[in-house]
Amino acid sequence: MSNVFKREVVYGITGLITVMMLFEYFFFADSQPWAETIRTWAVIVYNISLGLGAVRLLMQHGTALQRKRENWQFSVVLLTIFTVMLLTGFAGYIATGVQTSNGLYNWLFINIYTPLGATLYPITGFYIFSAAYRAFRARNIDAALMLIAGCFVMLKNAPVGEAIWSGFPTIGGWFQFTGQIPGMRAFAIVGALGLIAYGFRALLGKERGFYAGGSE
Amino acid sequence: MSVFTKLTNIDRRVFYWILFIALMVPFLSPIGFPITIAENTQDLYDGITGDEVEAGEVWIVNFGYGVSAWSECHPSTTACTKALFREDAKIIIMGTHYDVELTYNKLLDTVSEDFAGKVYGEDYVFLGYITGGESAAAQLASSIRSVYPEDHFGTSLDDIPMMDGIDSVHEIDGVLSSDTGDWGGHFMTQWQSAYGTKLAEIGIAMNASTDLPRWIAGNFFGVSVGSRGGAELEILVGELGEATTAMDSISVSHLLMVFAILLANIGVLYDKYAGGNN
Repeated sequence: MSNVFKREVVYGITGLITVMMLFEYFFFADSQPWAETIRTWAVIVYNISLGLGAVRLLMQHGTALQRKRENWQFSVVLLTIFTVMLLTGFAGYIATGVQTSNGLYNWLFINIYTPLGATLYPITGFYIFSAAYRAFRARNIDAALMLIAGCFVMLKNAPVGEAIWSGFPTIGGWFQFTGQIPGMRAFAIVGALGLIAYGFRALLGKERGFYAGGSE
Repeated sequence: MSVFTKLTNIDRRVFYWILFIALMVPFLSPIGFPITIAENTQDLYDGITGDEVEAGEVWIVNFGYGVSAWSECHPSTTACTKALFREDAKIIIMGTHYDVELTYNKLLDTVSEDFAGKVYGEDYVFLGYITGGESAAAQLASSIRSVYPEDHFGTSLDDIPMMDGIDSVHEIDGVLSSDTGDWGGHFMTQWQSAYGTKLAEIGIAMNASTDLPRWIAGNFFGVSVGSRGGAELEILVGELGEATTAMDSISVSHLLMVFAILLANIGVLYDKYAGGNN
């Protein structure tokens, strides 16, 4: 019986909803109330999954702390920050309906989270710089072509390229619009065809990876 | 080991310091290389100004980026918001990234002069954060109220004058989606392709390979690519800002990177053809 719920019922619900949504998208000019209800459920389930993720995170780090696993100190930091942000956020929300109305929550967000977030992305620039130096080497013709194209596109995007030579944007643009974009189109079309094939396989119950990690 | 071979094995910390020092230079003494406007950026600007936008039109501006991508996406969003306000368009601000409130507050700061003449609830509204991926995008097209019964501050959409009579894709004149992810793609599938809604994308530079084919195909009427796109829009709007300042740093870092690549390849070619080590 449990297998019926684990497998056949999941197939049935997935198949039914897929057919209904395809039917609504292709055969009705305007959205239908029953389809809107299903989409609203999808949004709600998506939100519940965020809560589940938070609970799973707490369980994992709680266990790591309890058993003093390697780097458990980081779990302490995470759990502390999680608790502080959760409590201060709720306090603000209960008081005014807006979580950032709590002074401590707002202070932490603006003075800790924002600078850290703003720093995180630019730091990757240093890694990319070093990685480009190590990876872009003309050891064969393919690698040589890639590094030449990469350099031209970089000089196209940076204003200094055009200041040095007006040909850089032209050649970089050629690499981008004649070389790369058709490749991306092919990639997008093939990906979409693959998605359609995957959808049909799921609809027919042949693709089982999407539930409970099962295989065909 | 020859000098040329050593060029292939420079310690990464040397590059970190060189880059760090080099990036200081344009901040201390701005260079100001000329910036030309890319066609995709010009199309974006043209699509939100002039005859393309009438007073009273309702546009959605989506914040799909967080604090870490402010340098790439926010200048373009700022410039576009200014442009739309100057056309007397009404703006619905929403967010598909959890940093949306921070980004909204930053927008209020950076566009403060334009916001000063506008009234919340009449000229613009802030709906806040949503999750739900493409399902949420599809549902927004059907009924905004089913996804956002209230604005970010807890006011029912029915009590907001600007939202009177506005509840679906049919009442929205255009969408500007600014992303580090693929919400532009969700709007394209569920809004632009399905209903013909005007759609433009403001993306990080890495997204250019995804966004530009969609612009060429006509799904996006315009695309702004990274901070370079932001700098171009700042020029078009006529107010230089963060992105224009950052362009000197982009120039210095890109030039240094090309130089480092050349340096490494001199060593590689020497070893291959002269040294015979590799």
